[in-house]
Amino acid sequence: MKVRDAMVYDLSAVFEDETVENVIRMLSKQELSGLPVVDREMRVVGFVNEEDLIKAIVPSYFSLLRSASFIPDTNQLMKNLVKIKDKPICNYMNKVPVVVKEDDALIVAADYLIRYGFRFLPVVNDNMQLLGIIRRIDVLKVVLEGREEI
Amino acid sequence: MVLTVTMNPAVDREIYLEDFQVNKLHRIRDYTKTRMSPGGKGINVSIALSKLGIPSIAMGFVGGHMGRILLEELRRTSHLITTNFVHVDGETRENIEIIDEKRHTITEINFPGPEIKKSDLEAFLRRYRTVLVRANCVVISGSLPLGVDEEVCAELVRMAKESGATVFVELVPSIVEKMLLAGYAPDVVKLDLRESGQTFFSRELETFEAHVDIAREIASKSKLAILSYEVKNDIVALDGEVWMITAREEIDLSHTLGAGDAYVAGMVYYFLKHGLKPLEMAKYGFAAALASTRMKEKTWPTLEAIERELSFFDLERVK
Repeated sequence: MKVRDAMVYDLSAVFEDETVENVIRMLSKQELSGLPVVDREMRVVGFVNEEDLIKAIVPSYFSLLRSASFIPDTNQLMKNLVKIKDKPICNYMNKVPVVVKEDDALIVAADYLIRYGFRFLPVVNDNMQLLGIIRRIDVLKVVLEGREEI
Repeated sequence: MVLTVTMNPAVDREIYLEDFQVNKLHRIRDYTKTRMSPGGKGINVSIALSKLGIPSIAMGFVGGHMGRILLEELRRTSHLITTNFVHVDGETRENIEIIDEKRHTITEINFPGPEIKKSDLEAFLRRYRTVLVRANCVVISGSLPLGVDEEVCAELVRMAKESGATVFVELVPSIVEKMLLAGYAPDVVKLDLRESGQTFFSRELETFEAHVDIAREIASKSKLAILSYEVKNDIVALDGEVWMITAREEIDLSHTLGAGDAYVAGMVYYFLKHGLKPLEMAKYGFAAALASTRMKEKTWPTLEAIERELSFFDLERVK
C-alpha cells in the first residue's frame, strides 16, 4: 500500500510571504489545523499549524509556569497577535518540512505522523512541489476499509 | 496536465419526476430518483476527463457547508482530480434540475453563489499563475460569481497563452465577445448563441447564415469555434472552413444534461492524444456529447462509448 492510495489530492497551501492574519483566516474558513507553506513554484518550504501560531502569541514566560489560571484575560494574546498579524508566515512556520512522496509506503507516512506528532504531511513530487496531503484520518480510513497490507 | 477553471461551481441536485407540475407537492419516495453531484462546467469537464483516465487540476472558489460537500464529493469521484479551490465567505450554490421523464423537459433553478471579494480574487489569480506552469491545457467555463468582472476571463486566457497552454473556453457570449475584441483569443471557443434576441459582434443572430458568419469570424481569431445551433446539430468553424455536424437520430431534450461538458472533455481528450487537429477534435467532442445523451442522468462516457458514436452523425461542409 502506497501513500497515493490514501492521500488527498488537494493543493491548499499558503505562500511563504502570506501574512499571519491571512493564514489564520484561511485555516478558519477551511476548518483545518494546518497547511503546507510553498514558494512561487509551489515547492514545499515548510508547514504551519495552529500550535505554531498560538505559541507565537503566548508570552514566552508561560512555558515556565505550572498554570496559567491566574492570568486574568486574553489581552496579552491580542496585543501579541497585533504585533505579528502583518508579518510573513515564513517567520512562524516549521522550516524543515517532513514530507512524503506518492510512491512511499503508507507505513512511512503513518510512522512520520506518529513520530513527529503531525496531523498531516505534505505529499510532494521529486522537485518538492506540492501534490496533496495525507492526514491521520486518511491512513485510518484505508485501514478500516480493509486494505490491511500496510 | 489539464487545468479546469470553474469560478462559480455548484452542487447539482438532479430530481427525476413523472409529470412535474408547478404549484403542486411532489414527494420523492425512491432515492434513486434523486442524485447530488459536484457541478459547474469546468468541474464537469474534470470529472468527464477522469473517466477517460486523464488527470486534471480543478480550480475556482468554494464556500461554506455546500463548498465542503462539493470538495468531498469531487475527491471521492476520482483521485485523478486534484482540487485547488480558494475558500471564501458565503455558500457555494446549488443547482436544482427537475427532469420530467413523461413530458421530456428539464426545469433548472440555479442559485447565484457567494460574492467574491477582491482579496479572494487576488488569491485565486496568484494560485492560477502558480499552477499554470504544470498545465499544457486550460479549460475556462461556466458562469461568473458576484464580484468577478467579465474582464477577468480575458486575463486568465492571456496568462494561460503566455505560459504556452492551449486554451478552451465555454462561457457566456458577452465574456467571449469581450475577450475576442480585447485580442485575447482562446484556441477553442464553444458558444451557445440561441437565446432569443442574442447579438454577437453587434450583429443579430436570427438566421442560419448569421450563425455561420459569426462562427467563421470567431475561428479567424481562434483555431476552432463550435456554435450550438439546434439540439441535434452544431456549426463548426476552422481555418476558413465551416461545417455542420448533425446527429442522425433525434435527441431527447431531457437527456442533454452535461452534454456540452462531455463535448469539451472529448475535444480536450483528442487534443491531448493527437495534437491540435480542429475538425477531428470537434468530431470527437460531438461523439462524446452524443454518448452522454444516451443516458437520462448526467453521465460521462467511456472511450468505447465515444468511439461507438463516431459513426452516428453526419458532417457537411456549408462554407
